[in-house]
Amino acid sequence: MIRITHLSKTYGPVTVLKDISLQVAKGEVISIIGPSGTGKSTLLRCLNLLEQPDGGSIRVDGVDLLDKKSDVPKIRQRMNMVFQSFNLFAHLTALENLTIGPVRLQGLDRHTAEQQAMEILKLVGLAEKAHHFPDQLSGGQKQRVAIARCLAMRPEIILFDEPTSALDPTMVSEVLAVIRRLAREGMTMLIVTHEMDFARDVSSRVLYMDEGVIYEQGTPQQIFENPCKEKTSAFINRIRSLSWRIESPAYDLYAMNAELENFCEKQILPRQTRQHLLLLVEELLLLHGPLLPSTPIDLTIAYSEKKESIELVLEHRGETNLLQQELLPDELGLTIIQHLVQDIQCRRTDDVYRLTISLKSG
Amino acid sequence: MKKLLLIGVTLLWSITCCAVCLGQEKPDMANAAAAQASLSQLGQRRIGVLTGSVHDSYTIKHYPLATILHYKTPSDLILAVKSGKVDAAFYTHETLLEMLRHDHELALLGKPLFSVPIGVGFNKGNETLRRQFNDFLKQIRRDGRFNDMVTRWILQGNSEPVKVAGGKTSGRLVIGTVSDKGLPFTIVKDNRMIGFDIELAELFAAWIGKEPVFVDMEFGSLIAAVSTNKIDAIFSTLMITDEREKQIAFSEPYYELGASVFALKKHVAGAAVGADTHTVSFLSSIATGFRSNILQEKRYLLILDGLMTTVIISVLATLFGTLLGAVVCAMRMARQRVLVVPAKLYIAALRGMPVLVLLMLIFYVVFASVNINPVIVAVIAFGMNFGAYTAEIFRTGIEGVERGQTEAGIALGFSRTGTFVHIVLPQMVRRILPVYKGELISLVKMTSIVGYIAVQDLTKAGDIIRSRTFDAFFPLLMVALLYFMISWALMQAVEHVERSTDPRRKQRKAGRS
Repeated sequence: MIRITHLSKTYGPVTVLKDISLQVAKGEVISIIGPSGTGKSTLLRCLNLLEQPDGGSIRVDGVDLLDKKSDVPKIRQRMNMVFQSFNLFAHLTALENLTIGPVRLQGLDRHTAEQQAMEILKLVGLAEKAHHFPDQLSGGQKQRVAIARCLAMRPEIILFDEPTSALDPTMVSEVLAVIRRLAREGMTMLIVTHEMDFARDVSSRVLYMDEGVIYEQGTPQQIFENPCKEKTSAFINRIRSLSWRIESPAYDLYAMNAELENFCEKQILPRQTRQHLLLLVEELLLLHGPLLPSTPIDLTIAYSEKKESIELVLEHRGETNLLQQELLPDELGLTIIQHLVQDIQCRRTDDVYRLTISLKSG
Repeated sequence: MKKLLLIGVTLLWSITCCAVCLGQEKPDMANAAAAQASLSQLGQRRIGVLTGSVHDSYTIKHYPLATILHYKTPSDLILAVKSGKVDAAFYTHETLLEMLRHDHELALLGKPLFSVPIGVGFNKGNETLRRQFNDFLKQIRRDGRFNDMVTRWILQGNSEPVKVAGGKTSGRLVIGTVSDKGLPFTIVKDNRMIGFDIELAELFAAWIGKEPVFVDMEFGSLIAAVSTNKIDAIFSTLMITDEREKQIAFSEPYYELGASVFALKKHVAGAAVGADTHTVSFLSSIATGFRSNILQEKRYLLILDGLMTTVIISVLATLFGTLLGAVVCAMRMARQRVLVVPAKLYIAALRGMPVLVLLMLIFYVVFASVNINPVIVAVIAFGMNFGAYTAEIFRTGIEGVERGQTEAGIALGFSRTGTFVHIVLPQMVRRILPVYKGELISLVKMTSIVGYIAVQDLTKAGDIIRSRTFDAFFPLLMVALLYFMISWALMQAVEHVERSTDPRRKQRKAGRS
């Protein structure tokens, strides 16, 4: 139905979309997830040419949108869009918001258009608000009217651009319920969303976008339970991380501790966990201190909000690994470390030693 | 609405009544301060003169210590003396003589101080016409017609016009004059101009076989008008001075005008104070005022004419300005710099320029060599000014409609124009109406300056009446009331649009039914 090939878009020096290719079949519900500012909304807005792409092609049922001869407004009528900020026409009632398109663009007579609009308003549960103006509706109601406005045009595809991001948490579910219903009825939809659970239930396919490309895509099961790529996994598991590179023995431990405490506070980690983490970092650095003149040490602390687990990764170059070869100068330090951690893994790739340590929970 | 109007009118009335009462008391209080004056004491007092007249330069030279106040029309000058704003004023001796025949409040202060020859002014390039006039003047002096005119108009103070027999005419002779100069030279009587100058001009036009067309102007604009060929000749007791001769060419002098000083009779030493100090009741004085200012000589026709002109200029300028504003606004909001920069310049220039200056520029510079109806010039000038303001009003209105709604319209399948017409425009109109309304009313009032380019509008009509009756109260109040009515009617029209574009109206209607 939609075939996108090699689509790209830049804003001045910033590349927002890089060589994106995507096919959407009829009846598919595709969720697009990913961190903010990675081009999800831009992709959607390029699809109906609210943004002009810089390169590539977009074909809808074989018609090239970027061809100057194509009747773009006609195609937009078949491919409607729901916006984050609702964008209802403020001077029209809910009912008129629904009828203006069919009457002005599709030549429907007013009476038929109104009857049809009432049916659709009933569908989204807002028939009794038909004669209200947008500013008399709540956020959730506004977004449902906006969805109804799309439906009134009898589109084949609906593009949702973060439909719940501007809503109070209490109103999110009413909007999602309407979208779920549309999915059940077989509407083709592309949904940019931050509602992970919703994306997981409703989609037939999930795209993870990062850095302007479709980084990974697959069924909801693949993406949410078994992501292949690190960034996807970090995003899905909502991983926050903190990392340092230590290059000389004269490093500032106190500054590091302060940063670490700050990080723990932000993630609202329990007091005990924080203390364990501080202790662990200090002991690890003490142990690895002798290596410092010959190799820099990279230390990363990653906290997965979803799994509620903390992982430490320590990387250094060189031939030896202290823990493995038991060349430890300080027995006590090792005891402390072993007491604090659940699991230690050591792997060597090329000449880099990588130590992965998971902190005991609780 | 009617109630509101009633309140408005009552308020206006009560304010003016208060003003009149205060005005009546004032001269008495000033009496003690203003001691008996004579010419020799004029040195340190307040002296009124007509802007740009020979009296002006004479006063500056001879009374360096006096405070000189400039007035635009003779009627303003006389009012200034009567209301005590100045202690004495200079004016043409002949006109004063005529005036004092009817007015018992004023008196001359001594004999004429000096006299100046007057002539007809022509464009320097129009030597033929000037020579024709000189020949004509010689002839009427020879055959006694000139003396007859002097006798009738100046010596006897007659104000009956003599019908000038017009033969076949070819072409027009456009004559610049000032309708409120005062008798014996020019005055409006029975809604047409008469007087010595008018008769002279008519005779001359007939002599050269042309149809005389009189253009009533501000005195200060006459010279500019003849030097830009807006008019062919000035017949308006124009005194021959060196400065003026640099600008225009004069005919042979046809009369010597005296310059006299006049003041309130009770301030003039030696003048017999009349016994007409009996008080007239307020109501009867209003009735007399109404009769002499409105009914006599069918002066209401003058006011109606002026009213029509004001309404026509206002309405046409509004339409033109609104269209122009829309175009400038579209340019201002365009993406191409080539369009944005001129629009910005236009808005900055027009908003930074007094309308009067713009009006004169268009009339005397842009259309200098084009014979154009000054009403059209007024419509262009006020429209251009209005356009600069409405362009910005429109822009704020359009920018006030969130971009998201435009995007939603486009995403729904509307074209850019369709989105503007069906979604942005209805919301913009509602937003801008209150500001637009204010701008509209100030435009109506702004048109009161068109007298500068010889358009007889409502204000000018009031001025002409004042020049005859020397009464400030009635003509000014009448004019104020009429401006208020025009503004009120326009406000009603705009408010009607405001109501009919209110989307809530439908909802309320639906709610009631």
